[in-house]
Amino acid sequence: MPDPAGPALLVWLEATAPAAAMREALWLYPAVEVVHILGFVLLVGAAAMFDLRLLGVARGLDLNALARFLLPWSRTGLAVVVPSGLLLFSAHATEMIENPAFQLKLALILAAGLNAWWFHRGVMRGAAAWGGATPRRARLAAGTSLLLWVGVIACGRLLAYL
Amino acid sequence: MNRLNALLFGAALTLSATAQAHHGWSGYDAGQTLTLTGEVAESGYMHPHGYVKLRTPDKTWTVVLAPPSRMERRGLPREALAVGATVTVVGYPHRDTADELRAERITAAGNTVELR
Repeated sequence: MPDPAGPALLVWLEATAPAAAMREALWLYPAVEVVHILGFVLLVGAAAMFDLRLLGVARGLDLNALARFLLPWSRTGLAVVVPSGLLLFSAHATEMIENPAFQLKLALILAAGLNAWWFHRGVMRGAAAWGGATPRRARLAAGTSLLLWVGVIACGRLLAYL
Repeated sequence: MNRLNALLFGAALTLSATAQAHHGWSGYDAGQTLTLTGEVAESGYMHPHGYVKLRTPDKTWTVVLAPPSRMERRGLPREALAVGATVTVVGYPHRDTADELRAERITAAGNTVELR
């Protein structure tokens, strides 16, 4: 590995035992990649299905029941994707932080998180009164969520090519 | 908000077309095949890609190899890349980073291993 240089925290992170194991152990890195993929399948898959319902697909399904089913799966996915992502990041943290695809990915994750927070704290609170159609603000949040998550996944893949 | 997101998303896609590729093969000039023989000055048997710093008569190249799990399975153990070993690589130079080469195959200790 080229001499690690960069923020002290990242230099330290790269030198930790788990980061070294990620680089050195023959099958750990690909195994953690598999876990990371399973995590975002759950996180983004469940979120995308809920977004589609908000956008008007499958209107016959009760929105609140669907939220109770799907959103816990999204949270489980988040709990899987964050630690596995941190492990992958730790292996080459100083190099990764310089990667424009990785920087954009972090920004998009932040935006997706704020969008979801804004939606669930605000817009979704009034869902009981919506009836069949979802209001424009909810559709806007759902479309935004879909675009942001596609962007996150695209950046995640592109960071291996930049 | 929506317009900003569309913009960010567009930027994500545009990056793939414009920025220099580093680890995928697309960043390397496959139209220019180089065969380099030299001494291993430094090596890393690590994920996601192994590498050697290869000291050749004119300069030292950073040669990007394959994931160690693949090299191990194909008969290129860590010891084959020990510092001081003489190896030959066939590969393509990076389009933008001088001195960087992506190896298609490597010959070490009389054993040739495909890396792709």
